[in-house]
Amino acid sequence: MIALAVFRVAAYVRSHRVYQALLLLLALLAIVEGSRAPVGQETSALADTAVLLIPVLAWSTRSLLDTEPDQQRTLSAISVGGRARELGAGLLAALATSVAFAALALGWGLLLGVSVTPPPDEFAAVLALHGIAVLAGLALGALTSRPVLPSPAVSIMALLFGFMAMLLLSVSPLYWLTVPVIRWMKAAGAGDLAARLPELAAISLLWCLAGLAAYGWLRRARP
Amino acid sequence: MRLSKVSFRYRRREPSVIREVDARLEPGDVVEVTGVNGAGKSTLLRLLAGLTRPTEGTITGRPAVVGFAPDRFPVEQPFTVSGYLRHMSRVRGGARWEPWAERLNMSHLLGLRLGELSKGSAHKVGLAQALMASPRLLILDEPFAGLDADTRDALPSLVTDLSADGVVVVASDHQGGLRRLAELRHWTIQNGHLVEGAPEPLLPSPQVTVEVTLPSGELPRFLSRMRADGYQARALTAQEAE
Repeated sequence: MIALAVFRVAAYVRSHRVYQALLLLLALLAIVEGSRAPVGQETSALADTAVLLIPVLAWSTRSLLDTEPDQQRTLSAISVGGRARELGAGLLAALATSVAFAALALGWGLLLGVSVTPPPDEFAAVLALHGIAVLAGLALGALTSRPVLPSPAVSIMALLFGFMAMLLLSVSPLYWLTVPVIRWMKAAGAGDLAARLPELAAISLLWCLAGLAAYGWLRRARP
Repeated sequence: MRLSKVSFRYRRREPSVIREVDARLEPGDVVEVTGVNGAGKSTLLRLLAGLTRPTEGTITGRPAVVGFAPDRFPVEQPFTVSGYLRHMSRVRGGARWEPWAERLNMSHLLGLRLGELSKGSAHKVGLAQALMASPRLLILDEPFAGLDADTRDALPSLVTDLSADGVVVVASDHQGGLRRLAELRHWTIQNGHLVEGAPEPLLPSPQVTVEVTLPSGELPRFLSRMRADGYQARALTAQEAE
């Protein structure tokens, strides 16, 4: 399965599709981290970056999963020993790519976006948010990939509206119905991210895992 | 390997594409599958390969290692032939693809990008990736489509060798390229049902000769493309052209 994941990352890089997400991420970071956050607002600035990462990572995941032609997906499934392993290899490849992008964003933020590193408990919370952002991007990107949504127009609209819905719902009292990204930002701005992390992380992880489970379920009938 | 009452339909409320198929495959069997377009040949191949689960019935005893050569190899991938085969070899746990590249006479293609291949050359890559892992069940979807004359002639003997080693070979083939094999089994898909019996004799299709005019510099490429697609093509001599 790891060899197939490597094959898919290699195809993603060699097809140059990786640069679409990379350039988008670099442009976003250049704008968001253009000036250092005021002292005391480091956690808030880094939490904002984690939220902005989600659509970029969703785009990257969708793009990586769609690089492989449908017929090659069939050959890969037979070669690796089944559809489940092929699906797992695709997600593993997307996860590895997303972790690299998230590390780049966090590194950029720490070097150029803030003057001092946040206190350890808040920094750990920021790290956790980046990890959840990776999973959220993975789930959203997988659910909008070609096997699930064959139309490119529908797929890209679903990705954008999916992220918009995440933003809008998480402003409302029904924030627990989605990955509550705005609540992350509010908690970081109020200085109680570390205290509220267990609740926010639990809701976020639940929806990420539900999204990935839905992807696995949908792929049963969409090889 | 045994198929018991296997039926398959793509969606609920749709009629079954494959209906109550019962069949048994023994090691070394070579099966030719025919049927009109849309009869369900490809669906049956996917069921045999384990890519699709039957809606009803069971398939038991499928070998652990399966090879599948598609009718159209996906060339839209950013690899050279050797790069692609190396990756697939790693996916297959380090299978050796080099002997198959030699046997399929594709050594000269290894440095080419997949997107540059003719249909026949791409088909060879599909065959090599299917064969490299020494599968015990080999599924070939239209294996003769677009192959050059040499490989077309070599494929039946390759299938014979695999069969002698106990490999089950199932080929969807409307060109009858395996008909000269002595122990060939023949399946026909009719209205979703599998019928086993003697194949229909191949009728020679009427032949025509066409005249094509093109710039002289493009002649070698044109001829190789036509030959790769299985046509007899040659340039007329100056005398013949007159």
